[in-house]
Order: sequence, then structure tokens, then C-alpha cells
Amino acid sequence: MLKTLESAVPVACWSCSVAHNDSTLFCPHCSKIQPPTGGDYFSAFGMKPHLNIDTDALEREFHRLSRRLHPDRFARASENEKEWSLADTALLNDAYRTLKDPLRRTEYLLKLNGAEIGEEHAGKDRKDTSRAPADLLEEVFELNMQLEEMRMARKMGEDDPALHQSLTEAKKKFDGLLEEVDQNLRAQWNTWDAGDEAARQGAQKTMVALLDRRRYLSNLLRDVNETLGA
Amino acid sequence: MAYSDKVVDHYNNPRNVGTLDKSAQEVGTGLVGAPECGDVMRLQIRVNPETQVIEEAKFKTFGCGSAIASSSLATEWIQGRTVEDALAIKNTDIVKELSLPPVKIHCSVLAEDAIRAAIGDWKKKNGVAETAPAAATSAH
Repeated sequence: MLKTLESAVPVACWSCSVAHNDSTLFCPHCSKIQPPTGGDYFSAFGMKPHLNIDTDALEREFHRLSRRLHPDRFARASENEKEWSLADTALLNDAYRTLKDPLRRTEYLLKLNGAEIGEEHAGKDRKDTSRAPADLLEEVFELNMQLEEMRMARKMGEDDPALHQSLTEAKKKFDGLLEEVDQNLRAQWNTWDAGDEAARQGAQKTMVALLDRRRYLSNLLRDVNETLGA
Repeated sequence: MAYSDKVVDHYNNPRNVGTLDKSAQEVGTGLVGAPECGDVMRLQIRVNPETQVIEEAKFKTFGCGSAIASSSLATEWIQGRTVEDALAIKNTDIVKELSLPPVKIHCSVLAEDAIRAAIGDWKKKNGVAETAPAAATSAH
């Protein structure tokens, strides 16, 4: 269950009783390890929930916190602290993997903000076919036809250079479309990070649509690459 | 998750796979897609201009077994029906017939959309007014 994007609730440190932000892994006052009470991934790193982040700083902080959580440091600690160090390490690893990847970071933050992305809305009974990349349907269908033809030819032990050529051209085109989506996503990041609630809602809607389109394109490209590389 | 026998049957022996001449006056083409799973479905109909009966339906679907079965069943059902009768087919009918699980309902939605798109294309080509807006916009 994902937390929502709300400011962290202060909790008291189990050791020194000084209140701190609930997603801090170590008490800022007495430096004792804290149980993972589950703030969002950004606050685990002391970062603002933004899409533009300093990934170098993220990596440095990940290494620093990983060292502080190393089991060797808890060899003589209480059972609770040992357990927390493992749980915190798991949380930190998940958080790092999610935040360092631009796409996963975007999906994560949008989900935190209540967006439904990808498979989550796929099974729903809905009328919203506007999500389909209607502008690409013709090309997508054509491409699928060519892929099928190519696989058939391969099965028969034949190679059709013309088909190979046209698939390679299609791949180039779809690679370009993917790149375009990524550029558009990054442009929305800035709107999100700088914007007020209203601007964020708009950016969020746009990004959810872009992520859908991206998923569609990358699935297709995976098929093309598999067929070309086979 | 196991596919129902009917899905497997349509998947192994899809009815009416093929292509109709897209440029022909009496042919309507519907092309629809679902971005989540990457399915694309093309459904074509050839309509008798006198009787408005769908005399032939063909499909080609790239997608999962349920998407193929849904469109195969759709072509089977609309052949021999008038255009207006074909519009009465609901995705829930397809779900029921094929025993589709909830995660595959969108395949049946796609098939219904494909029928509507093909008929819409045929109507546009032949200057037939969009009748029965209630049926065309009703929720799935």
C-alpha cells in the first residue's frame, strides 16, 4: 500500500524520545536507528518529492546510509535494532532502485499522488479508448503484419531482405517516437516540480497518457528487436 | 489462469481471419487498439447495400488468446445480421459466451469497439446517418 503525498508525521525516537520526521532512518538527535515506519521513498533520502532529482547526490546518500545500516554495525545491538537495520536496508534498496530510474521514479511519484498507471487500469470495464494511440494504429497494425510475415519466413528458413529493411526502418521510426515521449515527459517534470496543485494535476494527466504511450511503444519495439535479432 | 474451452477453440480455429478490400464502397473497416497490452484488432465488414445485411466479416488480431477469440466470435455473430442488429451486440455478451475472466474484459470491449468502428466507417462511406445514438454511446 502506497502512502499518500502528505507531510510526514513527527514521531518520538524510541531511544531519546526527541520527536523527528517519521521517515528518517536514524534519529537526528541521538543517531539511533529507527524502525521503518514507512514514509515515502523520497523522504527516506531526505529529498523533496520531485521528478528532477540530483542522482549523484542520491547515489552518495544511498552508499552512506547503506554503510550505516551494515549488519556489522549492529552485531552487539539489541534484537530490535538488528531487525530494523535489515528492514531499513530492504526499504533503502527498494527506494534507491525506484528513484534512480527516471521512469520508475515518475510512475512512483504519480502513484503516490493518486494516479492509476498501466496494468492497474487495464482490466477495468471502461469506455476510455481515447488512451489508445489512435494516430499510430495503422502503423502498428502494419508493423505487426510485417513481423508475422518475417517470423513465417524465418520458420521456412527464408530471409526476405526487403522485409528486413522495412522492419529496420520501422524500428528507427518507433525508436524516434519513444525518444519524443521521453522528451515530453521531461518537460512535464519541470511543470510538476515547479507547479501548484492545479498545474500538477494537469501535468499528471499528461504524464499518465505519455507513460501509456511509452509502454505501448516499448512493447512493440521489444517484439521488433526480438524478430530482427532472431 | 486457464482459458475456457471456447476461447481455446476460437484461438486454435479462428473463424473468418482475413482481409476485405478496404477501398470497396460496401466494405467498412474498424481498427482499434489497447495500449495496456499492445493488442491491435482489425475488423472488416461487407454490407449488402440493399438489405444492410452484413454478408461477410473478416478480422485480423494481434494480441492474446482472449482478444483473438473475442474478435473471432464477433465476426461469427455479426455475419448475417443487419448493421443495426450488429450494433446491439454488447461486450458483456462476448464475456458471457467466452467466460472471460475480469482481467480479460478489455478484450471484449475491444471487439465491441471494433464492430462499432467498422460499422461507423461503412456508414461514413455510404452517407448513412448515425442512427440510434443511445445504442452507440451506451456504457459498456
